Amino acid sequence: MTSRRDFLKVTGAAGAGLVLGLRLEAKPRLGETVKAAFQPNAFLAIRPDGTAQITVPKVEMGQGVRTALPLVVAEELDLDWSKVEVVTAHPGPEFKAMNTGGSTSVSTTWDTLRKAGAAAREMLKAAAAAQWKVPVGQCRTENGFVLGPDRKKLGYGALAEAAARLPVPKDAPLKKAADYRLVGKRTPRIDGPAIVTGKAVFGLDVRRPGQRFAAVLRCPVPGGQPKTWDDAKAKTVRGVTAVVKVPTGLAVAADSTWAAFKGRDALAATATWDEGAAKEFSSAALEAKARAALTGPADDARREGDPAKALAAATKMLEAEYSFPYQAHVTVEPMNATTHVGADTAEMWVGSQSGNRAQERAATAMGLKAEQLKVNVPLIGGGFGRRLGTDFSTEAAQVAKAVGGGPVQVVWDREDDIRHDLHHPATLHHLRAGIDGAGALAAWTHRIAGPAVLRSWLGGQKAPSQATTEANGAYDIPYAIPAIAVDFAEVEAPTPLGWWRGIQIVPNVFARECFLDEVAHALGKDPLTFRLDLLGDRGIVKFGRDAADIRRLKRVLEVAAEKAGWGRKLPVGHGLGLACHAYDGRTYAAEVAEVSVVKGRLKVHKVTCAVDCGLAVNPAGLEAQVEGGIAFGLSALFSQITWEKGRTVQTGYHDFPVLRLGDMPLVETHVIPSAEAPSGMGEPPVPVAIPAVLNAVFAATGKRIRKVPIEDGLI
Amino acid sequence: MAEYTLSINGQSHTVEASPDMPLLWVLRDRLKLTGTKFGCGQGLCGACTVHLGGEPVRSCVTPVSDVGAKRITTIEGLDLHGAHPLQRAWIEVDVAQCGYCQTGQIMTAAALLAKHPKPTDRDIDQAMGENVCRCGTYLRIREAIHRAAGQRKEVAP
Repeated sequence: MTSRRDFLKVTGAAGAGLVLGLRLEAKPRLGETVKAAFQPNAFLAIRPDGTAQITVPKVEMGQGVRTALPLVVAEELDLDWSKVEVVTAHPGPEFKAMNTGGSTSVSTTWDTLRKAGAAAREMLKAAAAAQWKVPVGQCRTENGFVLGPDRKKLGYGALAEAAARLPVPKDAPLKKAADYRLVGKRTPRIDGPAIVTGKAVFGLDVRRPGQRFAAVLRCPVPGGQPKTWDDAKAKTVRGVTAVVKVPTGLAVAADSTWAAFKGRDALAATATWDEGAAKEFSSAALEAKARAALTGPADDARREGDPAKALAAATKMLEAEYSFPYQAHVTVEPMNATTHVGADTAEMWVGSQSGNRAQERAATAMGLKAEQLKVNVPLIGGGFGRRLGTDFSTEAAQVAKAVGGGPVQVVWDREDDIRHDLHHPATLHHLRAGIDGAGALAAWTHRIAGPAVLRSWLGGQKAPSQATTEANGAYDIPYAIPAIAVDFAEVEAPTPLGWWRGIQIVPNVFARECFLDEVAHALGKDPLTFRLDLLGDRGIVKFGRDAADIRRLKRVLEVAAEKAGWGRKLPVGHGLGLACHAYDGRTYAAEVAEVSVVKGRLKVHKVTCAVDCGLAVNPAGLEAQVEGGIAFGLSALFSQITWEKGRTVQTGYHDFPVLRLGDMPLVETHVIPSAEAPSGMGEPPVPVAIPAVLNAVFAATGKRIRKVPIEDGLI
Repeated sequence: MAEYTLSINGQSHTVEASPDMPLLWVLRDRLKLTGTKFGCGQGLCGACTVHLGGEPVRSCVTPVSDVGAKRITTIEGLDLHGAHPLQRAWIEVDVAQCGYCQTGQIMTAAALLAKHPKPTDRDIDQAMGENVCRCGTYLRIREAIHRAAGQRKEVAP
């Protein structure tokens, strides 16, 4: 069996330079046969010409992994950053963990990438020492060179071959953070030049010889099936080459995307549907069921003290209902995948956040084994959780197989994207706060009612962790309250659901942080002081599977408030609001929003954010995630998906608005210096943005908004 | 199906297309100029922005039969070496996140700078207000446009 320390080996052929294979997954998966031989799954190559190639085992969707992960290797290895070439891994036996989500790419690879870089550095030093016949202790590395005594100097390229013949050190020393020259410094996105010249290849830009394009006519009600149709008209559209039935609907293949769309539209005019189980689904009915569930049975996510008793004993009780709608992802690059089916192999190009699952399921759909399908992951034009789903990649495989004959690119249009998204579901929240005779917050209850994302994700199974997953952000309320009850009442919904940037933490923290603000105001307390007092002098606090360091949360709250000038005199009509959260107990974020409301129109002027995500590998990328996360949160204040007769009412950017440039607030980011291991930054800035803004609206206007989206005339 | 001779990035291209085929698909599917992106097909997101006779247009709702002899400029032809002041500023400010919308953003901004070499924030809000960036890079887009405007005299031809 491979020992845990044996995670590196030389894998390159002679003449290839120094090629190191490393293993990013320390433990085999449950039920996986452990091979005697070490199986590397990530690679680092120093070529004889001195260039370095680093394979990134995660996918790039704008969060900056193709920059951040190589930086970690380059730091330990003292690479010349200008000579680093980055390639994205292919899912398969060597890369089994390409799943990219949950803000975990840096935290899950950080240790291994550092160790690999350090080991390679020690091998290059040893090779130089041998050549110079000096003790290795007299050698050091700098920017792609080994430096020795008497101004001796050799480039990595010249040493690579010799280094490859040396044993891989087991415990190469890691650098001290004080010696970092890349990690912690601002490094621009490595794909920037390709992006601004239009050379960057996204999934939709894949062009293979003989490629055709396909659109799929799907039932407007998710899960529905075509009953009758007439393909005669579609086939008369110039360029259309095939109309075929596929499991998700009817596919039209053509020599251009336009002809495929036209053919699909011609077909749509003739189709009748069996609309399936979701045909009566409506937002109004769902809301009524959710409201009933607010007082029915529920699954506990957290129960501490005796909330019923504490509420009964309270001298004052506050309660409120909060509401958050269905949301869509609307990545600007619509779903797509290109598949080339061969005799007994196939190749696919797909911007998937779940490369491994996409490979397995698409292969199965084509009657192949996973290893017979090569999957390439180009750049991804926005993920936000949508591309964790494999619905579009599996469908593309089914279409390519049904159409046959060369590569087929399945293209979704914007309406497809909104109607057949894996939506984030609506929830209702009922919160109560009991105040004791001394004026202290003695009891807190938070009931969440809505569909369960996790159940939908697991194909209908209820997982033991369902309540805590759906109550994430609510059950881990960080404040010291003697009696707490947080529970989840599931309401059935018939359409597929998925993860959305910030997941359930977005609606749950919105309700939690706004209601806490209500309590502060009801007690005549300053919302900042109230929170700091409730956080108290505590260290690490455990909430079920997570634990958060309350000191770190207090620190971001204090810094955000101080930098935003909390308590300062504001122009008339302006207000400041704040919110904070420890995201999965790993990343701490606090935001202070400054807003004004003039003639009922909300303007968010500025958001000041303080974050503690451990060591910031690339502060430039981190700041971009904060800005983008805040934009994503603010966008949700004005957007919603609603259902009528099983269909989404919304079909495009015209009725599902996305934040525009003129509405983007200034964002000021303050990173708490930290020596802790890095956590993640893709999602944590999102959930706090909404309550910070709505608490600021209350400060500015005295109006408490408990329902998202903000309705016209509500402010 | 008809034949169209188009002037794209200073070169003449003859393509076969149905008259209603939007310019976007002529560029992307017929000519493999994939720097111009498909976002909505409804002229609402700006990812497909190109210049037609120097004016920014949504190529996803511009039928090829409407183009005529007008010069088409796409991101691939904005600058021969990718060194347009906006492209340089975009790199310096590190604007892109996923990057998908950015070519459309740059083409819209280039048309703005051609008319208003020193745009105000209000000019930028107006010109760029119909370009969607779901990643939320708007602050950097604004900064990069100002930066490019500042550089324009030294580097623009």
